[in-house]
Amino acid sequence: MLGFLRKKSEHPRLAQLRQLGLFSTLRPRELRVIEGLVHEREYLEGEVIFDEGEEGQALYVVLRGRVLICRQGEPATGRIAEIPAGALFGELALLDGVPRTAQARALENSVLAAMSRADFNSLLETHAAIASKIALQLARDLGQKLISKFLTLESRPQ
Amino acid sequence: MNSTYLAGGPVVWLITIVITTLLLIASAKALWLVVPLLIAIILYYMLFPVVRRLSLKGVAREPAAAIVAGGVTVLVVLILIPLLPWLAAQSVSGEETLLRYLEGGRVLVDRTLGTLEAQFAFLRRLDFHAEMGRRAAEFGDTFVQSKLREALLATAASLPSLLLAPFFAFFFLRDGQLFTKLVTRGMPNAFFERTIYMFERVDATAKSYFQGLLKLTGIDTFVLGIGFLIVGVPNALAVALVAALLEWIPMVGSIAGCAIAVLVAASAHQTDLWVVYGVVIVFVVNRLLDNFFFIPLTVGRSVRMHPLPTVLMIFIGGVVAGIPGLILALPLAGVVGTIVGTIAGIVRDPRLRARNAYAKALLARRVNADLEF
Repeated sequence: MLGFLRKKSEHPRLAQLRQLGLFSTLRPRELRVIEGLVHEREYLEGEVIFDEGEEGQALYVVLRGRVLICRQGEPATGRIAEIPAGALFGELALLDGVPRTAQARALENSVLAAMSRADFNSLLETHAAIASKIALQLARDLGQKLISKFLTLESRPQ
Repeated sequence: MNSTYLAGGPVVWLITIVITTLLLIASAKALWLVVPLLIAIILYYMLFPVVRRLSLKGVAREPAAAIVAGGVTVLVVLILIPLLPWLAAQSVSGEETLLRYLEGGRVLVDRTLGTLEAQFAFLRRLDFHAEMGRRAAEFGDTFVQSKLREALLATAASLPSLLLAPFFAFFFLRDGQLFTKLVTRGMPNAFFERTIYMFERVDATAKSYFQGLLKLTGIDTFVLGIGFLIVGVPNALAVALVAALLEWIPMVGSIAGCAIAVLVAASAHQTDLWVVYGVVIVFVVNRLLDNFFFIPLTVGRSVRMHPLPTVLMIFIGGVVAGIPGLILALPLAGVVGTIVGTIAGIVRDPRLRARNAYAKALLARRVNADLEF
């Protein structure tokens, strides 16, 4: 009955969001809610996304390009991780707003999707199902990062 | 959590007070716009969860906002239509009722002055009863003939502008999130997180203030209603609701609400002053409960400002914009304070400004890459 009120074809943006691991378990209607909350930002190669010690306000997902996570002011010698397209970073800010533990810089011209902590908290109140799906994906991502780090440490010669 | 993003201090407070004062002066000149805007903001915070629920059911944002805003308008009209004949009848007897309450108040003042003069000899020597009675009669005549009539005419003249409220509410519901994204899109990357934090704080301030006020109104209506029923005030719930709504006006509102309740009680119980004293006690108890329990639980610290500029702002609001200024001063100061604090935080952070300058230099290098000067 409400079919005439619905959008007929999927927006390309929704298709792009669906490709991202963080939102891969969401239904189309839920993706539409997320689309309204996500901010798209463009960063030039070398541009700083956030600094170490800053109060984190948002989680970022790389739509295009690559992002370097490094020690503050040490992009060459203090490399921690490289975030490819489709992956996320800065997720701890979403969960408990702690200061950023490292600096993030664009390794090449990049397009990022940012979701703010405030929007995630409001999702918890109004759309708990969506928020819990995202939180579950975040937990999986964190778990994979921890396992990867653990294996890297174990494989290093003593 | 206290954020380091919001700068504080005397300079920020001063700028906040100046900007809020200018906005209050402007709002006093455009009251016909401010009142429907206020109602629209309240409607927005009440109805936004409903619009989001509809979005989850698959309804696009614009139709969802239209359904919700339109639905509320139709509901209000359907409620008002059967009430219109009753309201029309009441307006005819309204002036008689008002005069009856004022006469009740005059009798109360007369009896109180007589009692005071009987108790204290120095008041008898000053002819206190006759003098104060004359002044009270003069005030009552002036109040009814000019100020009250002016206020009622102004209220009646501004009623058509209330139709703007659902109109504004529809656009807030439809475009509220778009507006935020539009503004943040234009902000440099270095200031992006500060900007989204600022919008979140502004939204939280307004939401907690207005939602808190609605909850406080409900609680006050209940507490005052119970108290008035016990004391024996006629139409206890209606009087309690009016008094609770008047509480929206800081400082003056409680006194006005108490005065109205006292007039109603005095008119109904002209020979029993203890009912009037009971009404005053109910108000004092409600005020204490508000200050120590209800306000911290509802409105609380929605406006995160130091008490000194907060109190100053209420007084300034009353002086420059009267009663609307008293109502608007706090939430407006909270919103302006958040915006000014965020901008001050950016201005005072050399690292942020350096990052912005660096990003501009990167962009300049990129766009000039193939150009030779």
